[in-house]
Amino acid sequence: MEGSEGGSRKQRTLEKLGKLGKGVLQELREGRPPRLKVPSRGTSNIVYDEKHGYYVLGPRYEVRSASSMAQVKKFAQTLCVADFCRELVTKGKFATLREMYYTAEGWEPGPFRDQDESDLLVEDLEAMLGVKREDLALMPEEDGAAVFGDLTVREEGVTINALKAGRGGYTIPPTIDEVKFVKCGAKRVIAIETMGMYHRFVQEEAWKKFEALIVGLKGQAARATRRFLKRAREELGLPVYLFCDGDPFGYHIGMVIISGSAKLAYINHELAVPDAKYIGVTASDIIDYKLPTDKLRELDIARLKQLQKDPRYNTEFWQREIRKMLELGKKAEQQAFAKYGLEYVVREYLPAKLREVEGS
Amino acid sequence: MKTLADELFREFREHSVSEFFRKNAAMLGYTGKVRSLTTVVHEAVTNSLDACEEAGILPDIKVEIRRVDEDPEHLRVAVEDNGPGIPEKFIPSVFGKMLAGTKLHRLLQQRGQQGIGISGAVMFAQITSGKPALVRTSTGDGRVVEVEVSINVDRNEGEVHGKRVEEGGWKGTRVELELKEVVYQRSRYSPFHYLEMTSVANPHARITLEEPDGTKTVFERVVKEVPLPPEPMPLYPKGLMADDLLVLCRSSKSRTLAGALTGELSRMTKKKVEEVERLSGVRLDKKPQELTWEEAERIVKAFRQMKFMAPSSSGLRPIGREHIEKSLRRMYEPEFVSAVTREPKFYRGGIPFVVEVGMAYGGKAGRKEEGEGMEGMELLRFANRAPLIFDQGGCVITSALRSIDWGRYGLNPEASPLTVFVNFCSAYVPYTSAGKQSIAEEPEVYEELRFAVMDVARELRFYLCRKTRQKEKEQRAGIFEKFLPIIAQKASSLAGEEPPDIRPVLKKVTGLEPDGGE
Repeated sequence: MEGSEGGSRKQRTLEKLGKLGKGVLQELREGRPPRLKVPSRGTSNIVYDEKHGYYVLGPRYEVRSASSMAQVKKFAQTLCVADFCRELVTKGKFATLREMYYTAEGWEPGPFRDQDESDLLVEDLEAMLGVKREDLALMPEEDGAAVFGDLTVREEGVTINALKAGRGGYTIPPTIDEVKFVKCGAKRVIAIETMGMYHRFVQEEAWKKFEALIVGLKGQAARATRRFLKRAREELGLPVYLFCDGDPFGYHIGMVIISGSAKLAYINHELAVPDAKYIGVTASDIIDYKLPTDKLRELDIARLKQLQKDPRYNTEFWQREIRKMLELGKKAEQQAFAKYGLEYVVREYLPAKLREVEGS
Repeated sequence: MKTLADELFREFREHSVSEFFRKNAAMLGYTGKVRSLTTVVHEAVTNSLDACEEAGILPDIKVEIRRVDEDPEHLRVAVEDNGPGIPEKFIPSVFGKMLAGTKLHRLLQQRGQQGIGISGAVMFAQITSGKPALVRTSTGDGRVVEVEVSINVDRNEGEVHGKRVEEGGWKGTRVELELKEVVYQRSRYSPFHYLEMTSVANPHARITLEEPDGTKTVFERVVKEVPLPPEPMPLYPKGLMADDLLVLCRSSKSRTLAGALTGELSRMTKKKVEEVERLSGVRLDKKPQELTWEEAERIVKAFRQMKFMAPSSSGLRPIGREHIEKSLRRMYEPEFVSAVTREPKFYRGGIPFVVEVGMAYGGKAGRKEEGEGMEGMELLRFANRAPLIFDQGGCVITSALRSIDWGRYGLNPEASPLTVFVNFCSAYVPYTSAGKQSIAEEPEVYEELRFAVMDVARELRFYLCRKTRQKEKEQRAGIFEKFLPIIAQKASSLAGEEPPDIRPVLKKVTGLEPDGGE
């Protein structure tokens, strides 16, 4: 199973960058001031795609024209970013956004005012070309999550088995698309919000028991983690289960993996895992397992009410669980299961939950 | 037996002229050490300019200010011209008699008006340094006369001493005065600034200044035509006062009052005389010298009820738009100059005047004082070409300019490098005081000044708009010239193709109006 499509992705990215350049040259040759169409990323152009189950950009776009005094500099800078990326992709190198920002000091149009300015141009380019920044050889600063389980990958010519990477597991690198999935013995992915619970799962050998890849999210999932989950789902065909704290923030950590964020609407087709399943902790679990709880804070209540209206939560399951939590006025952490002993969560809770979702 | 009053009155009479001068020194411009010096220079230069003008001579005036000894407040001022000269017998009255002169009882547009002028300067010299004036003059008859003139305060008369006569072809007048209680410096109120302004308003004159430190400055003439001398204009019936009429009739050579009115006043026809007689009830067939105060009042009242043809303004001699522009251009080397000479208007019912305004923008124009907040608009005020440099606050020219909404013309009085030149021409300038440094707030004058300033400011606004557009166009071109090649180069690098010729696109976009991009 040669999972990586790194080579062809690279090719596709270079083609798209080339096409961008050709379009500009064409207009210049015809004696017309060139124009760029940049999909608009304003809130009014972010729409929920019911069919796919995540946010996408609407049809509106802005035109960046080289004949406008206000835009010609930005136009030139956009092409500089594009050409910088072309060079990186061609050489097989990566740069962080911050590194690019500093590199731009030496570019002909002059430096950026701040990193926000250069970051925005990267987003423009992602939206224009429909490719992720990782494909443009620009990586986020942060590493992805930890994976523990029977997965063999090849990264930079080194073969790594995620069982043999120590207790911390295999760390998902920002350049996850460069990583080849060589072999996988797992049948499912269980993504866990807190690292405390991740380590519990590793200690209790949950990966063996459930034939699973255990992924420690470290809170809100990084882009690389989401991309990993997406690839595990699509390339390895594994179902993805999400296990988070039983509070509005836990709900939403799960939901961002499932439906993507509004902010990254222009790239959600590369990140969202629409059929990932949120298995807990739900409000129902709090009642059914009589979990120790904390009172909902005002902030929690407001957030739950927000989620109630969010189109991504417009399913029977979510509406029920949000309502229940509001009625209960309580929330519970993943680790609350320790009330019944440290092994309880792996021995009792998870098997029950898996039976529920997998119906076996 | 003499009373105390007799005694006091004798004292008073003996000192009358010098007492008058002392008491009114401030009013006459002799106040402060800087201003007094400038006033002396002003009086002498004004006389020279007027004399040259009347004689049709291009003036060449030299002003020398030297220190006499170690005392910095002890100076000797010499003013020399190439004018027609003064006949010997008139020297004492020209320089030594207050309230004498050729200008009284004539409606004539000239720089000086009251006849205190140069004799006042002689008086000032005499009471500060105790020295007489040294006058050297020749009418061009081969005789150069040099005399010392002092004022006999008892009799208000000039006295000459030490007369010397030389042979020589020189023509002109030179007066030297020794002054104390004066200070020389180069401030806004200094002789330097005064002469600079004089040169702006008299572009036909060459003025040379030698300062106490030996610095010599020549304000060269830029115009080679002598202005036509002003013509005397008869008085206009409206606007006359009873006293004016009495003075006029007393000196009239006419046999009857009716004759005096038609002879001395403008726009008086036989029909009008009949109307005056009917309205005032005063018999006009008697001798003009027999007119009483009460009758004069009734006649003046009648004048006010009557309609007359507009008064003549033919005697006014404005500088002219072209000459003002030339002069401002020479003095300030500005990037923009414009001026206007308006049509004559009238105030107080019949006194004709003409307003001239010029503006110089950029270059050396604008306020020149050193220091924070000192840049911005500079106002140069003139009355009949004579600079007004004191009492700026109380002058109608200042208040008219203050009322202008400069922002509408793209100007900021606090910051714009702008010199505004205003010349008020009239045979009778309504000064606020005998110091003759500010013009009174006559409504018609105020309005006319505003119109004139707005006329020129409009021209300046057009210029500034054009300049801004041009600058924007250049900036715009610069931006595209910088970024379009980058775009072409980066695009060809992305596409892996040769960069195209971008000149057609460059030409297209730089020719567009600003913000016409999309």
